[in-house]
Amino acid sequence: MKSQPSFKRHVNQERDNWFWPVFLERTTKAIALLLLVGGALMFFLPFLTSITMSLKSPEEIAKSASWDLPKSPTLANFKEVLTNPNVSFPRFFQNTVTIAVLSTLGVVLSSSMVAYAFARLKFVGRDKLFIILLSTMMLPGIVTMIPTYLLYKELRWVNTFYPLIVPAWFGGGAFNIFLLRQYFMGIPRELDEAAYLDGASHFVIWSRVLLPLSKPALATVGIFAFIGSWRDFMGPLIYLNDVDKQTLEVGLASYNALRAEQWHLLMAGSVLVTIPLVVLFFLGQRYFTSGIVMGGVK
Amino acid sequence: MVQSLKFRILLIVALLLGISGAVVAEDITLRFVVWDGNEGLGAMRKTLAEFEKRNPGIHVKLENADYNTYFQKLLTQYAANVAPDVAMMDPANFQKFAKRGALEPLNPFFSQTLGFDITEYYKPIVDAHSFRGDLFVLPRDIAPIGLIYYNKRAFTEAGIPFPDGTWTWDFKERPELREKDFLWVVRKLTKRSGGKTSQWGFVPAWPGAFLDLLVFSQGARYADRQEAPTKITYDDPRVVAAHKFLADLYLKDKLLPSPTELSSSIQLTASQVFSQGRAAMYQSGIWDAKDIRDVNKYGTPGFFEWDIALAPGFRDGTRAMPTGGSGYAMMSSTPYKKEAWKVIQWMAGEPGMTALAQLGVAQPAIRRLARQAPWLPSDKLPPEARYPPSRILTDTAVPTVVFGPSADYWPEVSGLVTAKTDAIWLGSMTAEQAIKEGQANGQMRLNSIVGQRAMPNFNWTAGVFVVLGGLLAIIGWVYLPESRRKLSFREKRENRASYMFLSPWIVGMLVFTLGPMLLSLLMSMADWDIIQPAKWRGIGNFAEAFVDDPRFWKSFAVTGIYTLFAVPLGIATSLGLALLLNLKFRGIEVFRTFFYMPALASAVAGSLIWRKIFQPDGGLLNTFIYGSTGHGNFLGLGSLLSHVSGSKDAANWLGNEHLALPAFVFMSLWGAGGGMVILLAGLQSIPTYYYESATLDGATSWGRFRAITLPLLSPSLFFVLITGVIGSFQVFTQAFVMTKGGPNDATRFYMYHLYDQAFANLRMGYASALAWCLFAVILLFTLLQFRLNKGVYYEADLR
Repeated sequence: MKSQPSFKRHVNQERDNWFWPVFLERTTKAIALLLLVGGALMFFLPFLTSITMSLKSPEEIAKSASWDLPKSPTLANFKEVLTNPNVSFPRFFQNTVTIAVLSTLGVVLSSSMVAYAFARLKFVGRDKLFIILLSTMMLPGIVTMIPTYLLYKELRWVNTFYPLIVPAWFGGGAFNIFLLRQYFMGIPRELDEAAYLDGASHFVIWSRVLLPLSKPALATVGIFAFIGSWRDFMGPLIYLNDVDKQTLEVGLASYNALRAEQWHLLMAGSVLVTIPLVVLFFLGQRYFTSGIVMGGVK
Repeated sequence: MVQSLKFRILLIVALLLGISGAVVAEDITLRFVVWDGNEGLGAMRKTLAEFEKRNPGIHVKLENADYNTYFQKLLTQYAANVAPDVAMMDPANFQKFAKRGALEPLNPFFSQTLGFDITEYYKPIVDAHSFRGDLFVLPRDIAPIGLIYYNKRAFTEAGIPFPDGTWTWDFKERPELREKDFLWVVRKLTKRSGGKTSQWGFVPAWPGAFLDLLVFSQGARYADRQEAPTKITYDDPRVVAAHKFLADLYLKDKLLPSPTELSSSIQLTASQVFSQGRAAMYQSGIWDAKDIRDVNKYGTPGFFEWDIALAPGFRDGTRAMPTGGSGYAMMSSTPYKKEAWKVIQWMAGEPGMTALAQLGVAQPAIRRLARQAPWLPSDKLPPEARYPPSRILTDTAVPTVVFGPSADYWPEVSGLVTAKTDAIWLGSMTAEQAIKEGQANGQMRLNSIVGQRAMPNFNWTAGVFVVLGGLLAIIGWVYLPESRRKLSFREKRENRASYMFLSPWIVGMLVFTLGPMLLSLLMSMADWDIIQPAKWRGIGNFAEAFVDDPRFWKSFAVTGIYTLFAVPLGIATSLGLALLLNLKFRGIEVFRTFFYMPALASAVAGSLIWRKIFQPDGGLLNTFIYGSTGHGNFLGLGSLLSHVSGSKDAANWLGNEHLALPAFVFMSLWGAGGGMVILLAGLQSIPTYYYESATLDGATSWGRFRAITLPLLSPSLFFVLITGVIGSFQVFTQAFVMTKGGPNDATRFYMYHLYDQAFANLRMGYASALAWCLFAVILLFTLLQFRLNKGVYYEADLR
């Protein structure tokens, strides 16, 4: 933060005093840091509780408060979750990764294409098509579930990964298209106009000009899509029947069976399922906060 | 030579294929779906492996889904004609399927099976799974919910003999009967010190478990008939008296921990109050024994001796208790009926029951098996596995069990009553008043169900025309206004390029999205129970929503109010976080991750922790507001809350009608991470030189925020607003997991109401109508926002 110009105007006699601006800057920073730490603690709380519970024995879970730290931490729950033959996590992990990676690729590629058209090109019926696009988000999925299931059954896709992957390659969902369209519209048009005048096709402008400039937004969409697919419960539950085709999130529900909840395993499992996402987010945010340098444009 | 070799190989391959094909053709695979998890699955898989060994040529594929989503999945599969062959069922749900012909009656099979004797099974659970004289589900277990777990140490300390089951209960304490009077025992076992209860005399697993016991043992029932009730009888004086009695025990005598207190003291399940020695008696089913054994570990220092006893009868000695139970049914769609019966007979017979009995959670439905090891503890077992010693009482209890009405519409009707009666335990309504209102609502709905006239079949020709007409109208609306205009060469080229870019979405839309959407539009004019063919209802569904369904308007209001608060607050939080996290700090990446964590962590863990945060006594939120003493008043919040809730006690967030919705709004702020990420990406894309030049020109930080940040961020903000409103209108999961729409429908969100209609009440047609109403409202709001938000600034505006 630079020194505060407004301040100079008000407090004339202290024009040459270095103390106030520095003090002000430091205080703002300290307040911001305080807010960050306090907020982070509050937002971390649910996950922290899962972690502490996953480290307790069933006995200790029953006898201690949820907030208490484990007295004698144990990794036994994790070991059991990872080696349980009834609910095979390694297998589910493999399935989940396959589905999440393939669908995320599809989402990023296809939604950026569609968003390009909506943000940059002029065509017959554009605004109305855009409303139609948004309206696909507005109908509750519960009532389209059975018709969609029928459709996949006719395609012979039930009990395969296709219903969870293929649709991602066809548009990638209104949410993602809309997000990228908003972002593309924030990028000055001078760049692609210049490329267009140089004879570049729309495909080249999309792939060589806009995509490289939109890394933050693409990373955002990619991370959202990956997390969405990873944590999807209804999709895998409905479309996959075989136990060895299930995903992690559905497998977790096995520890939450009616009148036989196993909290220690449930918590250990949910921590295991979440860790890859935390790592992914931590690494991925470098891209969506990389900022873009467009110093030479204007 | 080469050619002939190739030919020979081909021939051999073809032969092999043919042979293996012939062999495979004889083998069949049955699909068998259950709601058991982890350990239950393991035991069943072993039993099935044995079955496959004994029955060569039959393979059984075991599938599972958790109880919450089990029926939704089964219904969807049935509608698509890919239902499994054998499915788990229970008395509360089987009639939905049986009544509509989705289940095969089992009588013909067992009458032809040599050596099969249905009288071996407990009669109550067989009757509970019968409909119009036919058995549809072969029972595998029964679970009487009238077992009293008792702590022997507590009894010894109080000098009371251990209960032998000959006790009774009355509306008032009868000291002259001493230990034969349940209430006397409860009071004797209750330890109080300084206004706090250190040991409860008695805790039921949930209020309904004890209430049912009180109602049933007086000889009263909730409805006039079991199979197809036409009249609900909550207004029976005995039922009302039971409600009043229980409410007094909770609120006036404070002899039982009220649901509020229970939710404060329990860790995860009510059984743990008992297993930690904080309740001397606990009413539940036998399934809790395992958990209690695990927590109250034999041989550890805190261990106390315990056992089970039968729940008390009414003063005249009549004993009756609620119960659970389940079994396996054959779907009528299976082509392999004989084989499916073999599987059912195996799994709901001695092999399957013995395997589950070994786990100690499912009491065999065959009486003989419930009276021997492994269900009963044998001397060969290690001492820690022998608890509770009197497990034979599970058998003694069976003749006294009472099943609730089995009608498929009963959950819907009784749900209307219990939505009101829940308020009794919280003290916000008297028993008479709540039952009067609930009874009226329930009976009204019941009358309209019973009096429903037959409807004509769904008119598919008309439907197809409506769809085609609609499609043409949409295409016309998109195309016609602009089609007259002559396009220049460049415009034509751009038009072509555009549709190429759009093609994935357009194809996907036509193939995957449009069809199901239109079908659901058609269904909104139908009466469709998912199992039978649809009936034509015209605009009847919409009329019902607007005129006859009071919960339609209620849920609309709930959702609207929620949106009104949650969306603006959420955006403000997201923006604040994004601005903070856009600062340059060392380790800011870690902070960002922390703030996004709630969106990553598992939903189950989340809901559990939220319940803990909102708990009235000792919950995190209330500790903050009232301090650890419980009398604080942080920033006057305490007084404000009691003003809103109408109660002087500490705020009961999820239990109080007036506070539940604010609690949900508060909770939604934890999800601000999603908006934060989007806004952060938006902030990062604002070129820094804008700020630099503005600073050089002497702009204040507020000025820079207003003149640069806000306009350049407005596309992202607009996005967060639009998607936030759409999402908030469709809030569902939290209500489903945490409150089931209560208390008194205060969190009955629109989507919850819709889901309830679709999959609990099997009214998919009505649910579709509700969905399209919601669609219209959201669309209207979105268009309105597009109109009002001309202020969104785009660096590259649309031409």
